[in-house]
Amino acid sequence: MQALTAEYLSPDVSTPVGHLSLTECSKGQEVILTELRPNAAFGEHDGAVTARMKALGFLPGVQLKVIGYGLFGRDPMAVQINGTKFALRRAEAHKLLVIPL
Amino acid sequence: MSRYALVGNPNCGKTSLFNRLTGANAKVANYPGVTVERRSGFIQGLGTRVELIDLPGTYSLATSSLDEQVAKDMILGNIPGEPTPDLLIAVVDATNLQLGLGLVFELIALQRPMILVLNQMDAARARGLVIDTQGLAQDLGLPVITSIAVKRDGVDELLAALQPDQTVGHPSPQPLAESSIESIHSYIQTLLAKHVHQPASTPAWQNRLDSYVMHPIWGLAILMGILLVVFQAVFAWAEPFKEGIEWCVDNLKSLTQEQLPTGILRDFLSEGIIAGVGGVLVFLPQIIILFFFILVLEDSGYLARAAFLLDKPMRGIGLSGRAFIPLLSSFACAVPGIMATRTIGDPKERWISIMVAPLMTCSARLPVYTLIIAAFIPTQTVLGIFNLQGLTLFALYLAGVISGALIAWLLRKRKDGHSFPLLLELPNYRWPMPYHLWMGLRERAYIFLRRVGTIILSLTVIVWFLSTYPAAPPEANRAAIEYSFAGVIGQFIQPLFAPLGFNWQMCIALIPAMAAREIAVATLATVYAVSIETDVSSLGANLAASWSLPVALAYLAWFIYAPQCVSTIAVVRRETNSIGSTAFFVVYLFALAYGAALITYHLARQFL
Repeated sequence: MQALTAEYLSPDVSTPVGHLSLTECSKGQEVILTELRPNAAFGEHDGAVTARMKALGFLPGVQLKVIGYGLFGRDPMAVQINGTKFALRRAEAHKLLVIPL
Repeated sequence: MSRYALVGNPNCGKTSLFNRLTGANAKVANYPGVTVERRSGFIQGLGTRVELIDLPGTYSLATSSLDEQVAKDMILGNIPGEPTPDLLIAVVDATNLQLGLGLVFELIALQRPMILVLNQMDAARARGLVIDTQGLAQDLGLPVITSIAVKRDGVDELLAALQPDQTVGHPSPQPLAESSIESIHSYIQTLLAKHVHQPASTPAWQNRLDSYVMHPIWGLAILMGILLVVFQAVFAWAEPFKEGIEWCVDNLKSLTQEQLPTGILRDFLSEGIIAGVGGVLVFLPQIIILFFFILVLEDSGYLARAAFLLDKPMRGIGLSGRAFIPLLSSFACAVPGIMATRTIGDPKERWISIMVAPLMTCSARLPVYTLIIAAFIPTQTVLGIFNLQGLTLFALYLAGVISGALIAWLLRKRKDGHSFPLLLELPNYRWPMPYHLWMGLRERAYIFLRRVGTIILSLTVIVWFLSTYPAAPPEANRAAIEYSFAGVIGQFIQPLFAPLGFNWQMCIALIPAMAAREIAVATLATVYAVSIETDVSSLGANLAASWSLPVALAYLAWFIYAPQCVSTIAVVRRETNSIGSTAFFVVYLFALAYGAALITYHLARQFL
């Protein structure tokens, strides 16, 4: 279980003051996406994951709403953006820096 | 002849639109060299013949999943033997414009003739969306057409726009000067603000439904309830249809035997082709019922929620929520289950899912299980409510599932350690449309029947040949199969199986069972010289008299694991496209079967 927790945390990035990682947000919370940052858990695919998330509309400035969680370790999370709902694992959610509305 | 291609996001209703436009003449095949489905048909109601190709659903052309690569290569004409489509029909879900238009701008950048279809306009209107299609058309530089794929007359406007005189010499749209994804999305926002009046949020009933369906506890309870209904239906509702098919096969067999003169041809038709193919055909009702539920759950938008709920538990064994559907299908038959792994994006996860799919107890094992359980396990009540025979059957299913989980976990241990994203769209809930369900079921049934008609038929013929030739000598006093190649092989391999307690009759039955597991029952009936049609219980009595309990249990353990089905092996070969993987699949499952039977035999001898 220890290894599973570690995979979401990317030691090489820190969260700027006033910003949260999406993983820290609670159900029902509405936030603005400010930045997509790398997550070492994706290794060499990290760039591709970022590109994919951008193509799906996860772009700075977009409004996100957390709409649900899975049972175990609140993973995955469900979010709504631009009227579309997506399921994200915490590893993906950890890439998203947000400010609460 | 012209070729048009449908392009769009998954869940945008593209396939319903395709079914509506092409009617009943669709053809499903694979793109050369890859396991991506190629769906094509001719558009009905146009003056000329126009081929319509339904490209794989894709969110973007920029990233590298196999489906998206194929879609992009098709559009650009990069696939040998597939000419560039003359017209792209970009399909966007009108209730999900932002996501859909992102892909549209990528398509525009390719500078091919194209039109834009806003699909699911009924749902868009119902939630108060007002779209100025003319203004949108002007700003995009594309004809914009609305459609309701689920209604019969919902595609009239599209058909009119597809008339050859409308599409000839169509100008390609001009791409945006600035093509970064950020600028495309901000341009889309401008466009939407200008031409679309959008209500604030998704309909309240959808959100309320999601608060139960995706609830960490209620959601799982609902999922378990649905699974229970599906299993109940697959095994109980299919029974009358199964019996109907068996009745037809039996009658056809007797008719052949009565009408044709005694000889090779008669035996070949009745015992080889009719009995062999019939033995596999009886699974058609179960497969159709299972796919009916899968299609209903998929079209309604529920399956993505199930994948969401199961993602974390399945990740514990190295799979993900996306592997849920293929593994569920494998309880009916591993063949469609393995084919359904195509939806899994992570290649390693897809490979693992293929490797463990046959450990989900398919319905072909049931006849073997029930025969042996009825013969050896007493009907006694355990703990007041459980029936010992039922418990044994449940234990066999459970053994399969647990072994599958363990094997998946072990196989995952060898991987590079990087995560793969889930990033799964949870589409809007929709009522499944009967027409679309019907077309989907027809397609699944056709694919299964085509397999029965090709691979399964040829394998059946081979197994029949091995079990029939050489014929028994005239003075023979034992069952004819003992003199055949299969009999010789069975007796030859028996020493190998002696440590498991298997006698040579059991070994003989394993050989024709390679065509389909349930044939083992018919073969045991032959070698024990019992007419199975008249009396199954006497076969059970015969077995009970000649096998000891540990041997019977070991035989059951063997059937949990052994890759006793050449069709599955053939489909693994096709879907992995690798001889090494197929060899691994066969060897590991046989090894597991041997080990499990060995352990079962010796433990049972110690303790029972």
